[in-house]
Amino acid sequence: MIKHFNSRPATLAVSSLASLLSVLAMPPANAADKANTKAAGTYVTGDFHNHTTCTDGSLSMKKLIDKAANTFNLDWFVQADHGGSSARNCTLAEDPFEPVPAGLGLPASPTGPYPPATYPSAGQPASTAKGPNQTWEATLPGGRAAIKGDGTATPKAMWRWQEIKEFQYKVAEDESRARKKPIWIGVEQNAPGHEHVSTTVLKGQLPWPQAGIAGDATLQAQYEYCFDNSDTDTSRGAENQFDCTVAGSSNNGQLDSVARKIRGTNAAATANLGHLKTIEGIKWMNEKAPTTSYFIPAHLERAGPYDPIRNRGFNIEHLRNFNNAAPNVAFGFESMPGHQASSTRGEYSPARGSPPVDSVGVGTYGGSGIYAAKIGGVWDALLGEGRNWWFFASSDFHNRGQFGPDQRESSQDFFPGEYQKDHVMVRRGAKDLSAEGIIDGLRSGNSFAATGDLIDRLTFVACAVNPALPRAAFKALIEKAAINALGKNGEVRINGCATMGEKLIVAPGADVVVAIAVRDPQGTNNSPYAFANPSLKQIGLTQPLNAPVLDHIDLIGGNVTGYASPTDLSRYAGLEGSPAAVNASTGIKKVFNTTNWTAAAEGMRTMSFRIPAVKASQYFRLRGTNLPASTPFETDANGNPINDYEVAPFDQTVAGRIACTDSACPPHLRTVGGIKYASYDVAAWSDLWFYSNPIYIEVTNSVKVAGLK
Amino acid sequence: MTSHCIPSFIAFAIAVLSLSACGGGGNDHPAPDTALFAARYNTALTAAGTTAGLTSPTVVDVFDEKYLDNGSSRADLMATLAANSQAAATSADLSLFPTGELTNATLSACVDNVCTLNATLTNTDVDTTTTDFTTKVKILGSVVYLYGDQSATAAI
Repeated sequence: MIKHFNSRPATLAVSSLASLLSVLAMPPANAADKANTKAAGTYVTGDFHNHTTCTDGSLSMKKLIDKAANTFNLDWFVQADHGGSSARNCTLAEDPFEPVPAGLGLPASPTGPYPPATYPSAGQPASTAKGPNQTWEATLPGGRAAIKGDGTATPKAMWRWQEIKEFQYKVAEDESRARKKPIWIGVEQNAPGHEHVSTTVLKGQLPWPQAGIAGDATLQAQYEYCFDNSDTDTSRGAENQFDCTVAGSSNNGQLDSVARKIRGTNAAATANLGHLKTIEGIKWMNEKAPTTSYFIPAHLERAGPYDPIRNRGFNIEHLRNFNNAAPNVAFGFESMPGHQASSTRGEYSPARGSPPVDSVGVGTYGGSGIYAAKIGGVWDALLGEGRNWWFFASSDFHNRGQFGPDQRESSQDFFPGEYQKDHVMVRRGAKDLSAEGIIDGLRSGNSFAATGDLIDRLTFVACAVNPALPRAAFKALIEKAAINALGKNGEVRINGCATMGEKLIVAPGADVVVAIAVRDPQGTNNSPYAFANPSLKQIGLTQPLNAPVLDHIDLIGGNVTGYASPTDLSRYAGLEGSPAAVNASTGIKKVFNTTNWTAAAEGMRTMSFRIPAVKASQYFRLRGTNLPASTPFETDANGNPINDYEVAPFDQTVAGRIACTDSACPPHLRTVGGIKYASYDVAAWSDLWFYSNPIYIEVTNSVKVAGLK
Repeated sequence: MTSHCIPSFIAFAIAVLSLSACGGGGNDHPAPDTALFAARYNTALTAAGTTAGLTSPTVVDVFDEKYLDNGSSRADLMATLAANSQAAATSADLSLFPTGELTNATLSACVDNVCTLNATLTNTDVDTTTTDFTTKVKILGSVVYLYGDQSATAAI
């Protein structure tokens, strides 16, 4: 696997000196994208949403971290369980840690011994009196009395604020320092008025490369106490005496006098109160840790549209409200959900919850929610305002469905780093590969997400065309810069060029060249299956499921027309598909494939496209897939992903759409009338995508891209 | 007929070369000075990479009046530079043009004073990017001017 951050310090020092000298020799910088203001950096991979037995996961913290940071070699990792409370002690590692080496077709046993069998689907049973399925009450030296705050159940559940502050954080920090990787604690908040949100409040935590004194997750714990909808504790965090006041907020008067937090949420008598509380939480993050917090709504289409009297869903106006409240904290969404191996991909489906409501878009589309997957939809509407609103993916790992944690098959979730990865730019310097640097990278928008290692490197750059250079020479220069950057897993640093999350400011009528370099990694990915991809087999292509090939890349662009005002409701608020949630100008501007990209060794692909005479502010983003356009039940004629739920509905007695006919197709697949169908993990490994974040082009006499400074 | 307003330093260079030719005798057509072209072009590229230099005559002076490259003429070049200069006056954050430096310039395949120029183009803003540079140039006396691919179609 690729080792990051091992380049030569001496070379860097010389390079830095050269950069400094060039700065001194040049006129003062006057462009936001001046290359010499950007330290060298590298894209690093991570996951920030996943679960242990401290909520509803199946593994200990240590085993989950080992899967993420060791088995699947992520560079950074945020352990982020649900908010609320839980009875199980996830700080106890499995014993034995890995009964038998991970593999296909392993025998699992609900009772042991381990070995020779591996653990069953729920992980090591508590009945073994070992491991993370035991309760806090049974395993803490102080027993029940050591569990703080409100609660009468037996066994007593521990509030997540206590788990985080007193138990989980230490494991995370110890694992981080032992593995020499940034690993810290976040929370998947049950956001009042909505559904789930991936959050971090890093301040106080001291993961590697910090050394020496131990840190603490007190602020993260306080955020959980104050703003999680499932934290109904009124103890103020026992001796912590948390107070949820937000400096200067007009809503402080709504704090409960005992609990010192807003206790209500969306309900018939208090419509939208939960949303207000969630906004207060964002403001609190911005007050307490403005550069080391994030708030990223997760699987945000899953629970259906927002409901002012219930806690579910997100409409576009809520995303705008979040971003308006603190653009440095609420800067994106996890529109590519986890649970990718579930029977209903991403767990998106019709008739969810009570009262039942369809996921927005019903299913995922090539594994992404409709908010990002639909061209000209919610994401493009937000980008069309010029907002800093970025795309992320996370595993949301809980369990392997019918399989145990060391079985390679999955009928529910993939481990962090096994299937989805966020590739985030981290720059060298004071923050280097640190949690702070990674959060800076997340906030910057200089990132992309991919499934199944469809690509593992991407350089995406837009440059103002220099008219004094012949076109062929300019194109060659920028493409060469892109391929050079790709070789270093970095970005192009040339004056007059902008990369993901940045804006290029050009004169009216200027030409812009977009250059793209990707690496389609050679060899195999983490799929345990080597039989032919059943989706591609439909169109006569034979390609091993564990050796995908990038088929094409779409360059998608749309116009920027400025922020929608909260008072302009028709433009600001509405359901998916409403005028407030579309960007009609967005479309596929160019398709790149083997006919028009340049292929080089090791799967490197380079391509470029000139946008002539730019008149209006706009943006460009990328998506790519292993599936050609018009692949039945996967992509439409324009290459857009088709609703995954239609291909594999919840009812397992209904035939699937794509037969899996290879003799190696595993027995757990949907089988109807003796025919196996691509489903679960096989469906996910068959249908791979990547999404880049956008580059903005701001034309000087046109709309200002206000979200990017 | 191609005509140029030749900058004074180039005129001086031509004069020196001419004197040299007269003194040596036997060559009525002084050799194209690729080194001087590279120097002039690099000055032009440097100017085009700054807001102050966008409308400097040093930029357009290296282009033949019949320059045409992928549908872009000398007039288009001047219009783009002027537009950028105007935009820079109102937007301090205007992005600069990516630029580079030409080295190892050589001429070949000359027909009717039009030659192919091969060189190396290097950008060293922070990281070093080097690529091949090939275009057509026009020779007037010993002075080399960018001529472009003479294609009226924007193929790139």
